[in-house]
Amino acid sequence: MSHELHPLVKLLLDGELRLSDLPPELKPEGERALRLLESIDHAPVALSPALDQRVMMAVRARATSRWRWLVQPRELRIHVRPWTLVPALAAAAALVFVVLRPAAPSTESVATVAAPESVTVRLVLHAPGAERVAVAGSFNQWNAAATPLLRSGTTEVWTATLTLPVGQHQYAFVVDGIRWMPDPSAPGVDDGFGRRNSVLAL
Amino acid sequence: MPGSVGAPTIWAMKRSSGDGASDADVVQAVLAGDVERYAVLVRRYRDRYARYAAGLLGSIDAAEDAVQDAFIRAFDQLSQCRDPANFAGWFFLILRNRCFAERRRGGREASEEELKDATATGRWARAEAAAETDDLRRAVQRALLELTPEQREVFVMKHVEEASYEEIARRTGATVPSLKMRMHRAYDRLRGLLREHWK
Repeated sequence: MSHELHPLVKLLLDGELRLSDLPPELKPEGERALRLLESIDHAPVALSPALDQRVMMAVRARATSRWRWLVQPRELRIHVRPWTLVPALAAAAALVFVVLRPAAPSTESVATVAAPESVTVRLVLHAPGAERVAVAGSFNQWNAAATPLLRSGTTEVWTATLTLPVGQHQYAFVVDGIRWMPDPSAPGVDDGFGRRNSVLAL
Repeated sequence: MPGSVGAPTIWAMKRSSGDGASDADVVQAVLAGDVERYAVLVRRYRDRYARYAAGLLGSIDAAEDAVQDAFIRAFDQLSQCRDPANFAGWFFLILRNRCFAERRRGGREASEEELKDATATGRWARAEAAAETDDLRRAVQRALLELTPEQREVFVMKHVEEASYEEIARRTGATVPSLKMRMHRAYDRLRGLLREHWK
């Protein structure tokens, strides 16, 4: 015996036909089909009142944990493979060399990025016999006393680290308060009075 | 079929009253950090979809687990709710996925005790006036559990929630012809499963 319902009975169940629309020979089958469908309950299903509390407890716990990771100390484990240390150590050594290397017997300037709007510059001057050295420029209103350089130990190398705004600056070293001299390691421009100023383009 | 034409559709209701705030306002508040406002959405929709979940999973206990999980998942993914004004539709899809996953996992079926209890309390398989016996109701319940999740879903939405094919299509994303095909196969399957009662 086939278990397939007649297509018209299916349309009856779909609500597209009424029982009276069926031919007489299909009405008994239609009635049986409707009787089975009518045994399905249409009443609302009521869930436990405690469901709300359970959901909210879980939600609160999640909300708390979302922020907790920011403030709670956590164990951080880093797994390092030996061969990955080689480039890292090389980079670290290069950085140490740049920062701590002894000053060369000449002047030089080293620039590092401090912030998008400013740049940190290290000015270096080899000045044998100098008692004091300063730098004067457009960034300090050419004040010969405002920005002294420091002697590196007992050497003849003087250094100063400045944080300057991005842009072009002109400057010159002032040795012992009287002798103005351009930075030998930087490009220069004529100051209009017969001398040259050094230029930093940042 | 009596009662299936022009039946009210809870689905189509747009929620903007009751607790005062619209779904969109509540979702935004929760996302802004006011976690307690999520309780508004839970109260609003917990029972609306309970019958769907119970129909699909075959027991109230399983439905309660599914609704609870769906609410928690919805909270976890709330920032991905692109249309907070349609939180209900978005939540329904999460619940639907949860129910389908459980059905495909072969989640637990309603026990005989649950079916009896549900029948006795009227929570799930409560008798309609036209129903003849508890045995018939339980047989139908058991037969529904034998349908595929897709067949069972369309059957529950059509004959339990009394939604039209067009509404079911809108909620599930399926086309009306494919829904009708699923339903008609479900009829045939039920006809075979209930042949003892087909007299």
